[in-house]
Amino acid sequence: MSVRARVLTALVAAASLALTACGGDSGDDNGGGGGGKTELKLYNDKGAWSPFFEELGKLSKQQIGIGMTPVGYTDEPTYSAFIKASFRTNEKPDLFTWSTGGRLQEIVEAGQVAETTDLWKDAIAAGDLSKELEETYTYDGKQYCVPLNISYWVMFYNKKVYDEAGLEPPTTWAELMSNADKLKAKGVTPFYQTSVLFSFVWFQQLLIGTDPDLYDKLATGEAKYTDPGVVAVMERWKQMVDGGYFSDAGSKEDPAVQLKSGKTAMGIFGTWFNTSMTQQGLEPGTDYGMFAIPNVDPAQSKVTMAFESGPLCSLAKAPDTKASTDYMKWWVGQPAQEKWANSRGDVSANPKVAIPDPGLSAIAKSAGGGEYTLANRYFEAAPAPVLTAALDAFGAFMVKPDSYMKQLENIQKAADEYWKGR
Amino acid sequence: MSVATATPINSPAAPAAGGRAKRGDRGARWGALGFVSPAVILVAVLLYAPFLYTVALSFTEYDGLNSPQWIGVENFTRFFDDPALTTSLRNTLMWVVGTTVVPVALGLLVAVLSFGIKGGTWLRLPFMLPYALSGAGLAVIWGFILQSGGAANDVLGFLHLPGADTSFLQEEPWNTLGMIVAWTWQQTGVNALLFLVGLQSIPKEPLEAARIDGASGWSLFRHVTWPLLAPLTTVVVGLALVASLKTFDIVWVTTQGGPGRNSETLAVTMYRDAFVSGEYGYGSAVALVLTLTTGAVTLAYLRRQVKSREALG
Amino acid sequence: MKHPKKTLRFAPRFPGGPATRRLVLGAMGLLWLIPVYLLLVNAFRPSTEYDADRIWVPDGDFGFFDNVKLAWDAAGLGPSILSTLLYSAVSPLAAVVLGAMAGFAIVVLRLRAGFWWFMLLFGGTIFPIQMLVIPLFISYSSADLYDRRLGLVLVYTAVCVPLAALVMRSFFTGVAYSIYEAARVDGASVWRIFWRVYLPLAVPALSAVAILEFAFVWNDLLFGLTLSQNENVRPVMTALSSLSSAYSGSTVPVVLAAGLVMSLPTVLVFLGAQRIFARGLTLGQY
Repeated sequence: MSVRARVLTALVAAASLALTACGGDSGDDNGGGGGGKTELKLYNDKGAWSPFFEELGKLSKQQIGIGMTPVGYTDEPTYSAFIKASFRTNEKPDLFTWSTGGRLQEIVEAGQVAETTDLWKDAIAAGDLSKELEETYTYDGKQYCVPLNISYWVMFYNKKVYDEAGLEPPTTWAELMSNADKLKAKGVTPFYQTSVLFSFVWFQQLLIGTDPDLYDKLATGEAKYTDPGVVAVMERWKQMVDGGYFSDAGSKEDPAVQLKSGKTAMGIFGTWFNTSMTQQGLEPGTDYGMFAIPNVDPAQSKVTMAFESGPLCSLAKAPDTKASTDYMKWWVGQPAQEKWANSRGDVSANPKVAIPDPGLSAIAKSAGGGEYTLANRYFEAAPAPVLTAALDAFGAFMVKPDSYMKQLENIQKAADEYWKGR
Repeated sequence: MSVATATPINSPAAPAAGGRAKRGDRGARWGALGFVSPAVILVAVLLYAPFLYTVALSFTEYDGLNSPQWIGVENFTRFFDDPALTTSLRNTLMWVVGTTVVPVALGLLVAVLSFGIKGGTWLRLPFMLPYALSGAGLAVIWGFILQSGGAANDVLGFLHLPGADTSFLQEEPWNTLGMIVAWTWQQTGVNALLFLVGLQSIPKEPLEAARIDGASGWSLFRHVTWPLLAPLTTVVVGLALVASLKTFDIVWVTTQGGPGRNSETLAVTMYRDAFVSGEYGYGSAVALVLTLTTGAVTLAYLRRQVKSREALG
Repeated sequence: MKHPKKTLRFAPRFPGGPATRRLVLGAMGLLWLIPVYLLLVNAFRPSTEYDADRIWVPDGDFGFFDNVKLAWDAAGLGPSILSTLLYSAVSPLAAVVLGAMAGFAIVVLRLRAGFWWFMLLFGGTIFPIQMLVIPLFISYSSADLYDRRLGLVLVYTAVCVPLAALVMRSFFTGVAYSIYEAARVDGASVWRIFWRVYLPLAVPALSAVAILEFAFVWNDLLFGLTLSQNENVRPVMTALSSLSSAYSGSTVPVVLAAGLVMSLPTVLVFLGAQRIFARGLTLGQY
């Protein structure tokens, strides 16, 4: 045989050996569906959190004898399709993350999700979960899933820039705008905005600060995007864009970088953004801080704060329902939550958890203690086709603020399509 | 057997009447089926079969959870009425023209310039390197370059050319054009490599004959080399056609088809409708339309190329 | 058979002499390297020193290895590299052999309705793969191919076959039919002719295709994401993509450094395989 052929044959032989040697163990640890599973797979679309999940997996193995391995996805739409398809196969997830709002409702209505009503009752009684949060996880009077994480949407700001301008975190909207004006005068862009993924943020903030009920009604289809209250919000937003209060929406520059450099002074993000700031080498309290965003309408009694909470779910027909439920019980408890929140540098759904970062801790205490009205983030509140239309519309609005009426009509069209017959 | 020695391997293939195997080669005819079947089976089972599932879904309404509901051609009528379709088609057309012309021409240029000269491999390296980057990596680098205030703006400003303030990623058609530039940057090397394969197989005799006749340089290229390069040109353009019609990764990672859907291509529309909005039936219909279009276009192109070559000789 | 006389010197056969060609190529090459320069400068920058206003200027400190370590830890890149190497080496190899067989059958063996068989194979490239992954996932799950290396090798090979078939068919049309006829007359079996004559002839073309397909498989994200989950089976891009998501908190230099490191194997393959490929080019057919 020629040398080439020999090499080829050797390669093929080696490859076949490698292939048969280890094909991944999707079949082990099944425990026969009735019980006995000691390793659970947690499917999630937060691939970036894999190291944190793994730490929790080690901790749970120590504390309750059940280990957990994350299977991370990074593209949410692909993840969704995959999970839904998995319900029909033998590859059902033991645990999986999802989104609250319409998407959770969808799979609950399809009878796929395991009920957790008792779990919630016990957890609220033990002070591990707040009653305020329960509503987001309730359908038809019953609870499903438990909170995987919770983040509050607050205003991050560059403290050094603030100090230089002689500013303090505002307690009213008027103060916030006056801060913004002073910053503008100094050549600093007051607010960050983006037309990609988080293009809804300012719409959400302005609306919940004006009329939180209208915001909720939009999510259920009871109100229209063309209603005067919504139009007024868009007009205010347009005023701000025209007034030069925002950074370039099309910039792909990392928002943390923008804030760090001081070119932009403030930005609305979920408290998970804290990690991005610390990764840049910024110190909380010295270099940057965060504050709850005051209501636009001062007549509202409580500040309305947007929050995002992702559920951790198990299937009604999970491979081992007891193990999955036990895991979720452990997840909401203090030891798990403490490790989870602090390793990621975010707040926890469990009010008992002590958070080292003073800024985060203050927000968590106020929000968890009922000081604010909580509004579900737009991303979860809006049904998928409406959300898609809205994200496009807001992005287009940022490029052409004059088109706001047209954009609202576009969103409403999608909403009409979705809600007809429901 | 003397077959292993170097016979003039690169004379043009003898014309075959009607493409049939010779009478006495019946064993070869069955052998032919045997040779082609592993490839065909693999492709049929792993690529065609899943696509048939998509075809079936395109006539239904399906949310991924409950059973698909048959709705006939409603998805298709909805697609052709969709106002976003016009922009999507326009962008896809830009991609088709952009990627079948410029990267192909540049690839040819690089191949021709670097063929047979010493150090050609090293001179080609800068063009090959971009292909080593993943799709996401490409989008990150070029997002970086094309973003407002990014490298592109810097360079244009430095050279006092227009565009120093343009938001390349936000405004249409600049965002699509920008991404086409990024794609060209990556694909030129690939095309060059394929053209080199073609150049390498060009037989010696016609070139010698033409040179004896006094042809040289440009006319040599135009009248002898270029026609003989036709098989690989077909490959390169054919591939570019298919890839351009299916453009997805770079657009999705760079602009997600936005802002306001103005940089969407057909494949991005398909992905949005199927996966982002969760309407798998509708998305499948878009996929079917896209696939049929790609198939028809490439079939027409390849048929023409193959026929004209058979006519030549 | 006598060896045809090789020309000892290259006469210019394209516009411009070698020097002009080198100049033009060099200039174009420099242009092409600008984005690579940006990539290198910012991947080498220490993680916390990224500044959008200074992307052109290298940073005084060299932070590349730190960035790679950060990426490595954050994304868990280790185990998947071996598997990815397996897929990227085996699938293209299998695909070029299968593609060559198909090209051989269509062109040399004059398979009946050859053009249509060819279109059938080429048709494999026209499907948008996003739509294929969910049905593949469901079928793989029932066939117990889900989360198995064999499953991924099969699907990568299937995806690579059409390009290989396309190029090989083109290549083989340039090979004199007389070779085949002579070999048959000599009494060689069809299989032997393929293995001992046509396949060796095609090595430069095969290596060109294999290089390109190595890069394609190495950089694949979608199939790896949906058809596997175990970190020993999953290809490396699935881990890498987690770094660029909004929730990762990773900085630009880290993401770039990771991207750079991940493209190194492909670069090495290009350099290595180009030698095989280039050997065919400088043999002076002229």
